[in-house]
Amino acid sequence: MADEKKDLLLKIRDLRIEGYSDEKWLEIVHGVDLTLHKGEVMGLIGESGAGKSTIGLAAMGFARDGCRISGGSIEFDGMELTTTSESDRRALRGSRIAYVAQSAAASFNPAHKIIDQHTEAPIHYRIRKRLEAQEDAMELYERLRLPNPQEIGFRYPHQVSGGQLQRAMTAMAMACRPDLIIFDEPTTALDVTTQIEVLAAIRDIVEQFNTAAIYITHDLAVVAQMADTIKVLLKGNEVEEADTETMLKSPKEDYTKSLWAVRSFKRPQKSRPGGDAVPVVSVENVDAAYGDTKVLSNVSFDVYAGMTVAVVGESGSGKSTTARCITGLLPPTSGKILMNGVDMPPSYKDRTKEELRKAQMIYQMADTALNPKVRICDIIGRPAQFYMGLRGAALKSRVDELLDLIELEPSKYYNRYPPELSGGQKQRIGIARALAADPTFIICDEVTSALDQLVAEGILKLLDRLQKELNLAYMFITHDLATVRSIADEVVVMKQGEVVEAGPKNEMFTPPHHPYTDLLLSSVPEMDPNWLTTVLEERGVDNIGEAATV
Amino acid sequence: MGDVLGIVLKRLGLGLITLLVISILIFFAVELLPGDIAEAVLGQGATAENLKAMREQMGLNEPAIVRYLEWLWGAVRGDFGVSLISQRSVADTIGPRFAATLFLACYAAVIAVPVAITLGIIVALLRDSVFDRVANVLTLTSISSPEFFLGYVLVLYLAVKNPLFPALANVNFQDVGTFELYYKTFLPALTMVLVVVAHMMRMTRASIINLLASPYIEMARLKGTPAWKVIVKHALPNAWAPIINVVALNLAYLITGVVLVEVVFVYPGIGQLLVDSVTKRDFPVVQACCLIFAATFILLNLAADVGAILTNPRLRHPK
Amino acid sequence: MNYFVIGYYALLIGASCLAAYYSARTVFLLLFSLTLVSFIVGIVGGESSLWTITICAGLLALFGGTAFAFREFLAIVLPTEASKAIKTAPLTATFGLFVIMTYAIAGIFAPIIAPYGEAEVIAGAFAPADEHMLLGADQLGRDLFSRLVFGARNTVGIALLATTFAFVLGALAGLIAATLGGWFDQLMSRVVDVIMSVPSLIFALLLLSILGTNAFVLIVIIAVIYSPRVFRLTRAVAGNVVVMDYIEAARLRGEGLWYLIRREILPNSTAPLIAEFGLEFCFVFLLVAGLSFLGLGIQPPTADWGSMVRENATLISFGEITPLFPAGAIALLTVAVNFVVDWMLFRSSGLKG
Repeated sequence: MADEKKDLLLKIRDLRIEGYSDEKWLEIVHGVDLTLHKGEVMGLIGESGAGKSTIGLAAMGFARDGCRISGGSIEFDGMELTTTSESDRRALRGSRIAYVAQSAAASFNPAHKIIDQHTEAPIHYRIRKRLEAQEDAMELYERLRLPNPQEIGFRYPHQVSGGQLQRAMTAMAMACRPDLIIFDEPTTALDVTTQIEVLAAIRDIVEQFNTAAIYITHDLAVVAQMADTIKVLLKGNEVEEADTETMLKSPKEDYTKSLWAVRSFKRPQKSRPGGDAVPVVSVENVDAAYGDTKVLSNVSFDVYAGMTVAVVGESGSGKSTTARCITGLLPPTSGKILMNGVDMPPSYKDRTKEELRKAQMIYQMADTALNPKVRICDIIGRPAQFYMGLRGAALKSRVDELLDLIELEPSKYYNRYPPELSGGQKQRIGIARALAADPTFIICDEVTSALDQLVAEGILKLLDRLQKELNLAYMFITHDLATVRSIADEVVVMKQGEVVEAGPKNEMFTPPHHPYTDLLLSSVPEMDPNWLTTVLEERGVDNIGEAATV
Repeated sequence: MGDVLGIVLKRLGLGLITLLVISILIFFAVELLPGDIAEAVLGQGATAENLKAMREQMGLNEPAIVRYLEWLWGAVRGDFGVSLISQRSVADTIGPRFAATLFLACYAAVIAVPVAITLGIIVALLRDSVFDRVANVLTLTSISSPEFFLGYVLVLYLAVKNPLFPALANVNFQDVGTFELYYKTFLPALTMVLVVVAHMMRMTRASIINLLASPYIEMARLKGTPAWKVIVKHALPNAWAPIINVVALNLAYLITGVVLVEVVFVYPGIGQLLVDSVTKRDFPVVQACCLIFAATFILLNLAADVGAILTNPRLRHPK
Repeated sequence: MNYFVIGYYALLIGASCLAAYYSARTVFLLLFSLTLVSFIVGIVGGESSLWTITICAGLLALFGGTAFAFREFLAIVLPTEASKAIKTAPLTATFGLFVIMTYAIAGIFAPIIAPYGEAEVIAGAFAPADEHMLLGADQLGRDLFSRLVFGARNTVGIALLATTFAFVLGALAGLIAATLGGWFDQLMSRVVDVIMSVPSLIFALLLLSILGTNAFVLIVIIAVIYSPRVFRLTRAVAGNVVVMDYIEAARLRGEGLWYLIRREILPNSTAPLIAEFGLEFCFVFLLVAGLSFLGLGIQPPTADWGSMVRENATLISFGEITPLFPAGAIALLTVAVNFVVDWMLFRSSGLKG
């Protein structure tokens, strides 16, 4: 169609990019095509290392130090970026193509006021004079629903919060009214309740000015809200591209299907054992502080044998601190930790081997949870050796048994080192190390959040099986509500060091509940492309700012 | 600003305490001597009467803590006691020599600082090029050479084989004119410049490269800001702290590295005096020299920290 | 103008053109810059300076050749893993390795290599070089070459001992401070701050004036003065490891301090610590040489490079190059170690630049 051709903004064909490492150039993007029309928003999605950011920057004719565009063509509005001079390419940046970086706090220059950085490009390109540019900045701040739009620009970056800074950066990208904006994971570093404001603001402003955008993210639910079309990348190759609706409903490729796979795993909810059963762990009125800063106040909940308690909340809500109090890494300033009804010494240093053995932990980042310089057999074998005194053949058969338990073939993994394993395998080794101590209670700290959906589901199934077989009690720290839905029996919601609400899972997921629980639950993005619109309508658009500060 | 003032005052206080601890260290180190100073100075041939007279004269019969306080109080007023060898006042001996050392250090610094920072920035901008690699090898070589090696090489080639400059710099400050002074002290100054420039270049290069890797520099480039403006407007305002740090550390180095250079060129500075006094075991002079060196060193480190605090935008504009 | 000068420029410009023609950008830039520098130097310093440049270039080529040959040699001799690493090493690093090896051989086999004893008087004072004495005699008539060889054993030996001592002291304290934290960490850090706020040479002079100069005192003093540097680095490196979850897991298991350090922390800190050992050696070595040069280090008649420079310094004023040999020997070893450390740091950081 002739019309379509006129609307064409960006056409990338067979783009190849090389990165320099170990004294040689290696191709990291292997021939990617991309077509974008005016006013269109495309989502680029993939895991880290898929080449999303590199492609996004290449659309500006830019390659980071240590990278180079080695082949293909990038045509922006009829101009071939791979062959034009650097000064011509530079003239496009900031004026016709703008960039919004992941970390606004690091990407604003700490030495200048926000508004001076905002007006730099329009003044440089002689689009506006300084005063006009400042007026315009304030108007953009207002449109992005920043508080005190007249004044906020005259602050320094470190004087403004992360979510506001991210919106100020979006405003800065808009300063010259570009045709195309590259959003590089703009909300990844933010909390869910802040993320929703920023998402809404970005979506509005892109729509108002009919700006085309490339939205880079690894979060499927986020991209579903923002993009018209979605392109899936894997290790520098395109997997598939389709409009958002089609992509979500009927993905073609196996990799995409695995990404989209909605959690099918769900287990029936258990209820507390009746009678006078003693909880495996009970947290009673715990207060805790780092130095003079109080971080927990009056936290109480119980975990019974064979049950899973999910603790949810944003970062800074005190979920992980609670775990540190239970394990004794951070002795509470007041309150008690009981295990099987027995009072625990507050610091782990004063606990006996037997007390330490009963409570084990599984960590979020398997990379940092396993010593890279120690063999698998020693990682798993050490607790068995340390607590049970196993040696020689007995130790080896115990390690084999544990590897069998976590579904890894003993002969194959016995002598390997952690860096040789995949993320999911490492997480399983972490589980095996916890099991080696033969515990009754395990703290799972965001154990699935660094993993792909399918791998995560495998881990959840494994944990569930182990719970049934060994009658384990789990405390599951997470911010992912899908995980909570699939595995939890009881839910504890935390905010700023306090328990906001607690109860059986089915009660927590049916209204009415505490306003904060409400806000938290509704802020977690869902795969439905209309989710953001629906939530905003429910809350009333104008109330977003207020709702977030409740 | 009150916040910054607090931090600066805290840092100053810390420096003062460190200096106090060091003065204790310097004073009581001498107490480690087998026997006491009198025995050490007079040696094995000393008679009991001699020892007694000396102890009396030096006040050694008083407890150490009292002598320390007296010494410290004297030091604060610029009185470091009397030399054991020449019997002259230590302060009078040290005064002109310290001035001479400061002159040499300043002479070297005035040449070295601008050259090193300019070269360091250029090399940082040309990183990974041939020039960068050549500069890397050259600076490493210069850092690795002992000062006396560089000194003698310069003497051999610029004084003996090509008699451009005098080989010795045993100048008498009263007798020489300004130009002659600079001319006679050129070789020692050049030796120090060579070492310090190498150090400073490497440090400047490292901090500039570190700075250029910040996300806000990339953001500036992605806003279409021209390269020179990225450096001047975005990199420079954040570069002050590292540059001040580099300069102060190297000035501190100049003050102490001067000892070897002074000996090579027979320059009448405090370093030469310190070495002589150590050989002759003239303890009051050694103690005074060490205290002065330590104080200068601490002062410069303090200046670096305070400079970094004052130029940090996060601290200058508190929340 | 003579044939040498014409040949000199013809060769440089010809080579530059060839490099430009084959678009060897680096080589061209290097050669052409050299041509331009030669113009200036030649005008100022005359023909002799061009000779100096030629000799320097020849020496550089010799070093480069040695380094290249040594790298190929190592790549063949060493096992696969190490040979792979060596193949990507820059020439400066292999040159450094070569120099270190040479010094080690000279130091270990000193009595066999040296033609005369280290304190043996065999000729008149400052006797010139002849077929018996490669470099002539020193101020007492001892063979300078023999003393240089023995110096490798004495000077490097003392520096190595002092470094090792400083390293054990500093690293152990650093590891314990990082693992334990709390008051021990605070106390050690304050002590280290104080020691480091006195310039090391000055501190050494103060202590030497009190304790007198003998080899043992020297080693202990230097170890005490330089261990704070090791402490700080070890504490920083171990500090990065200590925050890892696997350390937390081990603590929560109830493991003791020694197990944590030996099995969990140390294996993950070796690379930067080895590099630091090299750097530390350079500092210590320069300090030992400096003290000897001032007459306060290793005492005569033990052969030592620092004191050899001092004893023969008068020769400089007669245009003799001899006193520069021991000084050059010091510089060469330090440069060599620095080159190797530079490469190791580059490898372990994985950073460019």
